[in-house]
Amino acid sequence: MTSTIQTEPTTATAGQSAIALVKLTKRFSEDVLAVDDLSLEVEKGMVFGLLGPNGAGKTTALRMLLGLIHPTKGEAYLFGQRIYPGIPVLRRVGSLVEGPGFVPFLSGMDNLKTYWNTGGGRMEDANLGEALELAGLGTAINRKVRTYSKGMTQRLALAQVLLNKPELLVLDEPTIGLDPGEIRDVRDLIRRLAEHGATVLLSSHILVEVEQICTHAAIMNHGRLVATGTVDELIGSSRTVFLEVDDVGRAVKLLQSTTGVSQVEVEPLGISLTLNGIERKDIVTMLVKNGVGIETVASRHRLEDAFLGMVEELPHD
Amino acid sequence: MIRVELRKQTFRMRTYIALGLMVGIPILITLAVEFGRRPRDNKDLFALASHSGINVPLAALTAASSFLLVVVVALFAGGSVAEESGWGTLRYLLVRPISRSRLLASKLVVVCLLSLAATVLISLSGLIAGTIFFGWHPVLTPDGTVFSQGAALGRLAIATVYVAWCMSGVVALSFMISTITDTSMGAVAGAVGLTIISTILDAISSLGSVRGWLITHYWHAWEGMFANPSTTSDMVNGLLLQLPYVVAFLAFAWWWFHRRDILS
Repeated sequence: MTSTIQTEPTTATAGQSAIALVKLTKRFSEDVLAVDDLSLEVEKGMVFGLLGPNGAGKTTALRMLLGLIHPTKGEAYLFGQRIYPGIPVLRRVGSLVEGPGFVPFLSGMDNLKTYWNTGGGRMEDANLGEALELAGLGTAINRKVRTYSKGMTQRLALAQVLLNKPELLVLDEPTIGLDPGEIRDVRDLIRRLAEHGATVLLSSHILVEVEQICTHAAIMNHGRLVATGTVDELIGSSRTVFLEVDDVGRAVKLLQSTTGVSQVEVEPLGISLTLNGIERKDIVTMLVKNGVGIETVASRHRLEDAFLGMVEELPHD
Repeated sequence: MIRVELRKQTFRMRTYIALGLMVGIPILITLAVEFGRRPRDNKDLFALASHSGINVPLAALTAASSFLLVVVVALFAGGSVAEESGWGTLRYLLVRPISRSRLLASKLVVVCLLSLAATVLISLSGLIAGTIFFGWHPVLTPDGTVFSQGAALGRLAIATVYVAWCMSGVVALSFMISTITDTSMGAVAGAVGLTIISTILDAISSLGSVRGWLITHYWHAWEGMFANPSTTSDMVNGLLLQLPYVVAFLAFAWWWFHRRDILS
């Protein structure tokens, strides 16, 4: 599997980035290793997607970042400060962890106040107007949360995230359980916040979501980092093409001597190659001209590659 | 932080019902004594309740403190952390810039305030209802001693605080379980279970001096203040006995909550 190697964060470099995870590990029990030696760095201004199937360890990693879960090994840093539960730097963070959580018998407004006052914030300092406008709940904000629909609760949760005008948003599956219209709204919102300079780390198991919103991404599986890089690197210009041909040996030889083609690999069913500055149709023309019969041409995204690779049940070593 | 928690826990249906019950029980006792058949030879606190308005809160305290009050304070303490887990709000409280100790402490303070309020309401409601029905007379106690209104009122106040303090062990246990489980009912069941077991063991006289260490053993020691000669040494024992329970349960609660991974 291909992966773009970045310089691994260390304790020394952790100071400059919004988020740094250094060899972060969480073992819940003898056979449950939720996060395994995860190192990751999110620079200020990035919109970073943490992609992985359910159970990949995304949520556990985010919870360790927020001080909710104690790492077994390794460290997590926010703005250069090593995390412990309730650390003051959390003031600069807005987070959504595994769906909304509200006191059912309090109104939406009282829930926001309760959240804000925990940690001693004065209500006047809260970004209440903007948060409420965003939630768009109207007079329902004074109704008990118990009466809210799932979408309303989620919107209230996003309003809660924005209360402190966060410099960093940590969003765990922000669009889960929403209808398509609401999903679009949430994605627009995240983009808008990013344009205003906020750093975003979001986890998702939806490929398209990460493609649409994120500038950078990392892929996790079985608690480990599988690949990381810019979304463009992972899916954009360097596309992977998959070919089924009648003469594999000849095709490989021809492809390897073509400029703009790299990483020619023979797979069980065909050949995969990466295109840089050459069009797919030119490859096809070239091969056909040289007498190679082509049965299938399919484009594959690297991200998809990586993602599909993960979803296949790999043995957990 | 305490204000936020107090607001959240006080103005809710469950608290209204619990505190309403505390007000209602003494009224119920008053009505039962007023309209029931007056026994002549019975000399317990209930039978004497009609002698004076101040007799009623004494009867109510005796009646409520062995079970109902336990359930109520266990409900307050047991829900405090576990309910937040259940609502999914615990993780959002803990991603705020606030230490887990402070969160626990403010929750504990609110639990204690509500528990104290519950106990005081029993006495207050009994005093008011009793005085309305039976008048403002000197108090007659089971052994025939008579206390003036002033002396009785002072002793009632001390008895109320004493009963409230006796609940501290139960509160601490419930609170501890609340930091472990995600269901507040588990915490309530734990506290009520402990009380029942302790009461049963306390009834087995062959256990001898071991019974002096049972959490419920001195719960009714305040009644000694209304005897002749009045005794308070058991009350001192009762006050001290709660301490090891409170310290042990709370220490575990703190230790556990600090090392806990918040997965709810």
